[in-house]
Amino acid sequence: MLFVELVVQGLVYGCMYAMMAVGLTLVYGLLRILHIAHAGVFALGAYMTVTVANATGSLALGFLVATVVSAIAGIAIYRLAYQPILHHAAFVPMVVSIGLFIVMQEAFRLIFGAYGIAFDKNPWYVAHVNLVGINLTYVEIAMVIMSVVLLVGFGLFAGLTRAGIGWRATVTDPHMATSFGVDPVRVRYVNFLFGSALAGIAGGLVGLLNNYVEPTMGGAVSYKALAIVVLGGLGSVRGTLIASLVLGVVEAFGAIYLANIFDRDAIGFLFLIVVLMVRPQGLLGRG
Amino acid sequence: MSAYIASLVSVIGINLILALSLNIITGFCGQVSLGHAAFYGLGAYMAAYLAKLGAPLPVTLLAGTAMAGAIGIVVGLTSLRVRHDFLAVTTMGIGFVLLGFVRKQKWLGGELGISGIPGPGLDAVSYALLIVAFAAAVLAFSLWIKQSWMGFTFDAVADDEDAARTVGVNVSTYKLVAFGIGTALAGTAGGLYIYFARIILPDTFDFVQSIAILTMVVIGGTGSVWGVFASTVVLTLLPEVSRAAADYRLLIFGAMLMLVMRFSPGGLAGLLRKPA
Amino acid sequence: MKKSVIAATLAAALLFAGSASAQIKIGFHAPQSGPAAADGKSSTIGAEIARDWINEKGGVLGQKIELVIYDDQNKPDQAVPIANKLIGQDKAVAAVSGSYSAPTRAAAAVFQQVHIPYVSAYGVHPDITKEGNWAFRGVQLGPPQGKGAAKFIADKFGKVKVAMVTMNNDFGQSIAEGFKEEAPKLGLTIVKEYTFGLGERQFGPIVASVKADNPDVVYAIGYYFVGGPLVAQLRAGGLKQPIIGAQAFDSMKLMEIAKDAAEGVYIVGGMDRGRKTPADFQPYLAEFKKRAGYDAEAVSANCYSSVMLVADAIKRAGSTDPAKIREALAATKDFPMLTGPLHYFNSVGEIYSPLEVTQVKNGAFVGVTVVDDPSILAPPK
Repeated sequence: MLFVELVVQGLVYGCMYAMMAVGLTLVYGLLRILHIAHAGVFALGAYMTVTVANATGSLALGFLVATVVSAIAGIAIYRLAYQPILHHAAFVPMVVSIGLFIVMQEAFRLIFGAYGIAFDKNPWYVAHVNLVGINLTYVEIAMVIMSVVLLVGFGLFAGLTRAGIGWRATVTDPHMATSFGVDPVRVRYVNFLFGSALAGIAGGLVGLLNNYVEPTMGGAVSYKALAIVVLGGLGSVRGTLIASLVLGVVEAFGAIYLANIFDRDAIGFLFLIVVLMVRPQGLLGRG
Repeated sequence: MSAYIASLVSVIGINLILALSLNIITGFCGQVSLGHAAFYGLGAYMAAYLAKLGAPLPVTLLAGTAMAGAIGIVVGLTSLRVRHDFLAVTTMGIGFVLLGFVRKQKWLGGELGISGIPGPGLDAVSYALLIVAFAAAVLAFSLWIKQSWMGFTFDAVADDEDAARTVGVNVSTYKLVAFGIGTALAGTAGGLYIYFARIILPDTFDFVQSIAILTMVVIGGTGSVWGVFASTVVLTLLPEVSRAAADYRLLIFGAMLMLVMRFSPGGLAGLLRKPA
Repeated sequence: MKKSVIAATLAAALLFAGSASAQIKIGFHAPQSGPAAADGKSSTIGAEIARDWINEKGGVLGQKIELVIYDDQNKPDQAVPIANKLIGQDKAVAAVSGSYSAPTRAAAAVFQQVHIPYVSAYGVHPDITKEGNWAFRGVQLGPPQGKGAAKFIADKFGKVKVAMVTMNNDFGQSIAEGFKEEAPKLGLTIVKEYTFGLGERQFGPIVASVKADNPDVVYAIGYYFVGGPLVAQLRAGGLKQPIIGAQAFDSMKLMEIAKDAAEGVYIVGGMDRGRKTPADFQPYLAEFKKRAGYDAEAVSANCYSSVMLVADAIKRAGSTDPAKIREALAATKDFPMLTGPLHYFNSVGEIYSPLEVTQVKNGAFVGVTVVDDPSILAPPK
């Protein structure tokens, strides 16, 4: 029974990770940037959700604002921070990203206070359903449903729509796509828009899940999501999804059975290193 | 020299060794490492463990250096397997794994770390001068590597690994050498640190510290010894002069990191070179 | 050019430190930026209230008190220069740490060397006071706190099965050690100990496993910001057993985060907010709220009391000579700390003070009992 419950808990974690990591993968697939500031966008989404929800009493409005603001922030980050330095060595944008992430974290602390903010009303927080002996809170269920809907939606977009096909073509071969009339710059904007909106929503959901939004909440996610993206094979969306779920489950078991040897962060990375030594290109990466 | 100045000089010296040692791996040889603080920690833990057993300073320093260098070469092996961004995340992961392991080891004090480390047997000023001597040696060593044949080979590996291989450079060996030297020197810094702080906790050697070391390197100008020297001194003294603006210190730090890289990817060194 | 930059920076650093006056200077350091800034802010406000109230009443020995405050970023390599600066440049006669264990322990060695009395307001690392007789601690050590919790659980619930959930840091580990030592002696059974990192807010696997263990009570050692989500998730997971938290649960944020789920949680080492003693307790709560905009927690109260304690020692010493201040501190008897009476310091500067146990009732911390058993709480030497 405990075994099943740990798997379920791990998958819930996995969904949370997936919503974060997909945005990172999209950026990496297209631009080869390790976009660490993505975790700042995640925290921004959480702050937007909690402040708007607490001010207006409407959680839906909170999420709407969070989605829009995060998407705009993502585009702004691309345009102002990354675009001018794309031609430099890969670590240059990465370091810019680290700097930006520090700035965002400190800005949250200065604007919203060093202490975190809890939701005034969080009706789904403790309320739960019992599925065959396993308690899941409504927020956890919402997290799972939301991630499935958004990611399936993205899959359909990429597979079926004209814009989506253009996007996939650009990721596979930017030059070829351009010669077929796809505007690569627009694809990049769509990329940041979608990935950042997803991170913002994930931030709001994690805020609800913890019922606490704090300046440093992006920290843990930032390196965890990087590990997932690498584990999945940099740039592979499908690999990232699988890696998210696998890492979630590995951590859930590790937190119980390996806790006397390693802490949870170490377990995830140990798993990553072992996989990379066997498959240097990640789970589903192309060599 | 007052005790206050001596302690500042000590911190600068330790940071210099850290930044210059990472510069050998990342700057000279082009292998981005996000886990340098772990080797700093390895050296510190090794040295502290021996110091508590009564070993004298030269022994602990040497053991710390050897320990960090040995593990560093093992980690260097991963750089043969994975490249570029994969390597960056792998080294970051190695930092988390080493730290996560140490946290759980009762014999290393676990979360309480190791404290009650005996003094170096020197007064604060003499010890600061000893640290400075080490830092100067590392600086001279870096300058020497840079213009040596090894330095040129590092350069070739950093520029284009495959091209270097084609012209007959044993890329694997040179990567391992860079990792070995760089991490061993980080271990030396760790050994010097324990007599200064007299306590070590796992958190001192975390990911944030790795980023701090990397920052000193990239702001100075990756690969530029004098650039890294200047940025390390300035960044270390920054908190001292910005005490009044304590609230905004990290914000300024992040903004600086972002702006320097955004407008001068070559760091301070690149800024000076630009007009030429 | 580089040299002139360095020279200018050094000169500026010296200049900042150079402004002297005839006041009695007490050094204070706390983390004011970065991840630990929240506690640092609260500690600083607590210390400043103490300074202001002392000065409003005419200061000490006819002189005003000046707090020289520095940001240590929770780093030992910042704390050592700060300690040296407080000693050499600022000429502080005593110092208080409003910081965590690592910077406090590093600074303690410096103060010990030059013989300046130093009080750690809430750092729980056992070795802070071990450097020598110039360091004191204004809070119970980790192990006595853990032993006190074992005593409370045994008294209240009998010989029960306990599941421990411990935070991975010096605070968690040192309290857990005391608990694990005392619990078997009192007939408690520890079914399992789970650990988690400071950054963790999701405890699904731990909750699931605790449920499978089916303990009688859960003893959780962590800060309020992990305690809040943990308590809520234990309740959401269907656990109805009593939850006992450690001192750092003591923040109104606990209830803000966990909401109704926080009801009934016990805190060993908490502060009964309805208490009328000491006389400055209620005024302090009001003043802190006014200055900070949020409610005071134990951390800030410890810093307030530690500054008050140092001022009191200077008064009793009748001198600003550090050696005399140290003697007066060591001789402290029944000083009214906000967190409870400080009965005495033992030979190594550890506090003996009873532990208050509170419980969350209707969203407030209410006193339940006081653990005051010298055989359990006596600080280790």
